Amino acid sequence: MKPAKILGPTLLLALLSVSLSASAYDADWKRGRIYYRSVCTSCHVALPVGQINPSSKTMAEWSGYLQADKHAKGKDSVKQYVSKSYRASIKSANKAAEKFADVPDQELLDDVKAFLVKGAKDGEAPASCS
Amino acid sequence: MVERVYIFKGFERFWHWSQAALIMFMMLTGFEIHGSYALFGFEKAVGYHSIAAWTLIGLWIFAIFWHLTTGEWRHYIPTMEKVLVVAQYYSSGIFRHEPHPFKPSQLNKHNPLQRLTYLGVLLFVSPLIWITGWLYLFYGNWTSWGLANLKLEWVATGHTIGAFLMLAFFVSHLYLVTTGHTVTAHIKAMITGWEEVESSDAANTQAGTEKSLSNQPWSPS
Amino acid sequence: MGLVSLRRSAGCVLAGLLYLFAASGVIADTKPLKLNTTADHSKFKELQREFQSGPEVTKACLSCHTEAAGQVHRTKHWKWEFLNPASGQKLGKKEVLNNFCISIASNYSACTSCHVGYGWKDASFDFTSEENVDCLACHDTTGIYKKPPGLAGHPQLKDVENPPGSGKITKGIDIAKVAQKVGKSSRDNCGSCHFYGGGGDGVKHGDLDSSLAAPDKDLDVHMDATGLDFTCATCHKTSSHDVAGSRYTPTAMDKGGAHMRGKEDKSNPATCVSCHDTAPHKQDARLNTHTGKIACQTCHIPEFARGGVPTKMSWDWSKAGERDAEGKQIVRKDAKGHIIYESRKGAFELGENVKPEYFWFNGDVNYTLATDKVDKTDGVTRINWLGGSPDDGKSMIWPVKVFRGSQPYDPVNKTLVKPHTAGNDDTGYWKNLVWDKAIEVGMKDAGLPFSGKVDFVKTEMFWPITHMVAPKEKALACTECHSKSGRLAGITGIYIPGRDANSLVDTFGWGIALFSLVGSVGHGLMRIASRRKHEEKENG
Repeated sequence: MKPAKILGPTLLLALLSVSLSASAYDADWKRGRIYYRSVCTSCHVALPVGQINPSSKTMAEWSGYLQADKHAKGKDSVKQYVSKSYRASIKSANKAAEKFADVPDQELLDDVKAFLVKGAKDGEAPASCS
Repeated sequence: MVERVYIFKGFERFWHWSQAALIMFMMLTGFEIHGSYALFGFEKAVGYHSIAAWTLIGLWIFAIFWHLTTGEWRHYIPTMEKVLVVAQYYSSGIFRHEPHPFKPSQLNKHNPLQRLTYLGVLLFVSPLIWITGWLYLFYGNWTSWGLANLKLEWVATGHTIGAFLMLAFFVSHLYLVTTGHTVTAHIKAMITGWEEVESSDAANTQAGTEKSLSNQPWSPS
Repeated sequence: MGLVSLRRSAGCVLAGLLYLFAASGVIADTKPLKLNTTADHSKFKELQREFQSGPEVTKACLSCHTEAAGQVHRTKHWKWEFLNPASGQKLGKKEVLNNFCISIASNYSACTSCHVGYGWKDASFDFTSEENVDCLACHDTTGIYKKPPGLAGHPQLKDVENPPGSGKITKGIDIAKVAQKVGKSSRDNCGSCHFYGGGGDGVKHGDLDSSLAAPDKDLDVHMDATGLDFTCATCHKTSSHDVAGSRYTPTAMDKGGAHMRGKEDKSNPATCVSCHDTAPHKQDARLNTHTGKIACQTCHIPEFARGGVPTKMSWDWSKAGERDAEGKQIVRKDAKGHIIYESRKGAFELGENVKPEYFWFNGDVNYTLATDKVDKTDGVTRINWLGGSPDDGKSMIWPVKVFRGSQPYDPVNKTLVKPHTAGNDDTGYWKNLVWDKAIEVGMKDAGLPFSGKVDFVKTEMFWPITHMVAPKEKALACTECHSKSGRLAGITGIYIPGRDANSLVDTFGWGIALFSLVGSVGHGLMRIASRRKHEEKENG
């Protein structure tokens, strides 16, 4: 019985990841730019870390950061701050979260990633956070 | 001897005091709009001034109706009779404590000098303020009214002249309120309706009242 | 126990199956369908190849979009030339000069990085060439398409060591990727030139800079990226590649009213009125009485350069040319790191959150060209100036950025001059810091005489402000103008309540009020005095 229990979810996960990569979402860096500047920057102005310019890291650093998915030195995840539930929780006060309320999590994450990679120190168009 | 005469009716008192409040308020807001000082802030001053103006228009509609239907408008018919006597009273008699040569009554509330002044306000100051104020309010409609060549400067200057005349009237009016039989006699009259009139004896007063009755220009007899 | 776990696993499988169906359903629904275009250009065979140059891409574009180049050829964006029908002046970037980098003559390779074409390196450029139209400048969606100065409008496709020998490699751009991802023009496209006018971010206009690429509502109520998200073309309605709304023929007073679908509208679609009509204030109709004399921009753009990018307010070319002890060029920055002096350019003043100056403006813009006489004794030469008066029935009060400077002129011929600035050669001013050589080359290129003498003349340019429209809550408060020393203190020919008063009337008015007061007080005092006497008498 035990293997069957594990098999189900594993199979599902595998299928899901295949389906996701199959859909080949074409990331929208402009949407990522708005989300990054309106949501990420809106907190990082106040918090101790201060503003974080996309151009402050290299493309590799940004990819690694998003891959590791560790926000605030591992206290929580990055994905969480792009998730629908997070957006729903701040949408009354944040217009970008409201505007993109229904965008699938992975798409929005890809958008943000596209903006960060494009705007990275060694990216195609180094960008600031505002 | 002091005699009490009922002179100002309920509506008239209401009219007087609400109009007084509105005019004072409009002078206050108006001179702020003019740039003489800052109090409410320009935007609010303009808003208040306009609301007060419309309220005053409403009040006047009632007042005109009241004056016409009750015949009270006749109190503003000018007369030259006794003008000099009254003027002489204010310029010298009052200092010698002579009695006022005019005895007000329900049928003749205003002394001849008052009649002339109020008529002047009514015929000159009010129309100046009202016409220019109305144009001011409807500045945006001038072109559609065919007044494209009218200059705001003229209208505004006219309105300001009216306001200054009203201010001068207001100051004098405030002072003259104190010149009754006692300092507060006139203001009491405008609050209660009853004027205290000084008289040497009862018969004399009676005669005075009768005399003033027969003096009425519109006396039916 | 066993039964329970069997049930559990059965449930798990069932749930898994359901999920699979659902997932496949999702997959079917999310087959990537683009809804913002009918053509995914990455699917076109014509674009699935290597491109060696910009013009090669253009040829591929034109194989389908057969009329596009011809349409672009008719526009100011291509010709950089404009004949002002009112004044007869021949204007356009090709003709005019300014008090920023002055003029494009002899500096083509640098300046034409903002031309919608390829290869305009000198006056011999072929304006009839279709393949030299640059489609990507306006249709790139990747944000990576760039045209560096010095390449005459060509993008840099190969990796280049820059400067040579420095070991610093600037990467070439993947132009095939750019070509495959073309789309509608966005704020980024227009901004790649218009945000950087005058040689840098925000330098020229003050109301156009990179902060407008994705602005918030406070910065621009229409372009607000999380709100209305207007592109430039939402207002600058473009037809047959011709973008409406131009600084050479602005509409100062729009009597055309709001445009309506299906109705033929010949008036400028880029004005406020073309959407908002002439009586736009619904809550406070009193504000509508302002619309006959005051441009919307005057109240609704309280300040320009509000996005965190400073704009240049003055540029003094006469200070250019300093060298340090080693003979090298100098760059000085202010506390915020913004450049305020460069040996090759002179001294600058910058401004952020700048209050505009205000002028009557009727839409006429005239220029002092390099062929016009200039007299230093006149004080300040206006390179362009705005027509307008309170009485012509066509003027409105407009907010304007006045750009002040000092620039080289020819004191013998009495004309402004067009120096050769950019260029890695023996005469370009930016490299050599020698005026007479630089001007000689520039004037020769422009076909104009030069005496060899150089002096400097003070100049002004007038840039009407129209972007960075603030939310209505941030529009000007009444007292900004309705006060004695408000923003419109210098505007003549109009009566502004709160600012203006007839001094004679005021003197007379306060005089009679005072007279009444003094009279009343005097009369009152006499009464009091006489009463005392009277009472004394009565009391014995």
